[in-house]
Amino acid sequence: MPNVKTLVFIIDKPLHGDIRAQEFLDMAMMAAAFGQRVVVVFEGSGVYGLIKEQRADVLGLKNITPVLSALSVYDIHDILVEQESMLLKGVDESQLGIAVSVQSRSEIKQTIDSANHLFSF
Amino acid sequence: MKISIQINASPYQHQASDTAWHFIQAALQNGHEIYRVFFYHDGIYNALRDSRPPSDERNIVQRWSTLNEQMGVDLVVCVSSAQRRGLLEQSVGEKVGGYERALADGFRIAGLGLLMEAVIDSDRHVTFGA
Repeated sequence: MPNVKTLVFIIDKPLHGDIRAQEFLDMAMMAAAFGQRVVVVFEGSGVYGLIKEQRADVLGLKNITPVLSALSVYDIHDILVEQESMLLKGVDESQLGIAVSVQSRSEIKQTIDSANHLFSF
Repeated sequence: MKISIQINASPYQHQASDTAWHFIQAALQNGHEIYRVFFYHDGIYNALRDSRPPSDERNIVQRWSTLNEQMGVDLVVCVSSAQRRGLLEQSVGEKVGGYERALADGFRIAGLGLLMEAVIDSDRHVTFGA
């Protein structure tokens, strides 16, 4: 396939509370639809977004967790979570709602170094 | 070098639009090509026709229109970000009964596909307001 780039999307904010995370994931899915290699990285407060059983409906918001589960449908299989952030935020792997790959900061740095473009919000 | 730009923040409240505009000026002066400027999230407010800042302040919206007029830089506003925030394309405004002349001169409304096209075809993609 001509011109496949590696695009890394960094989520370092909680997923609910404003619209940006939802719009950000739209970008990632569009990139995958364009045949690009998409990697999604959760770090910092972004790891809170992975915790299962979120009740966004209480605030009248759309729950984004199903979107995360659907990323694989878009051929997005590289969903990385930074180990140090999980420790810092007190989030355990058993609390997570989707299948992810927990990696160290240095491993994630290698992925980021290999990216053609980085996105954040 | 072929460079695409993404602006994620509203003008005036954030510096992103100003920094992006200065970045683009410098890039063009140094012989680079600006492939496209894509306005996303609250960045769509950069395209608000009826923005009226005090006369002794810079007019950010007008500055973008001038950049399009003089340098032909493609200014694209994300359709779903824009509709959510009430910035409607003329045809949509006519259809749903909204304001029809919301978009300033030189901007056009399109989907995320145009962002991806810019990202794929550019050597660099620079995001402001993130």
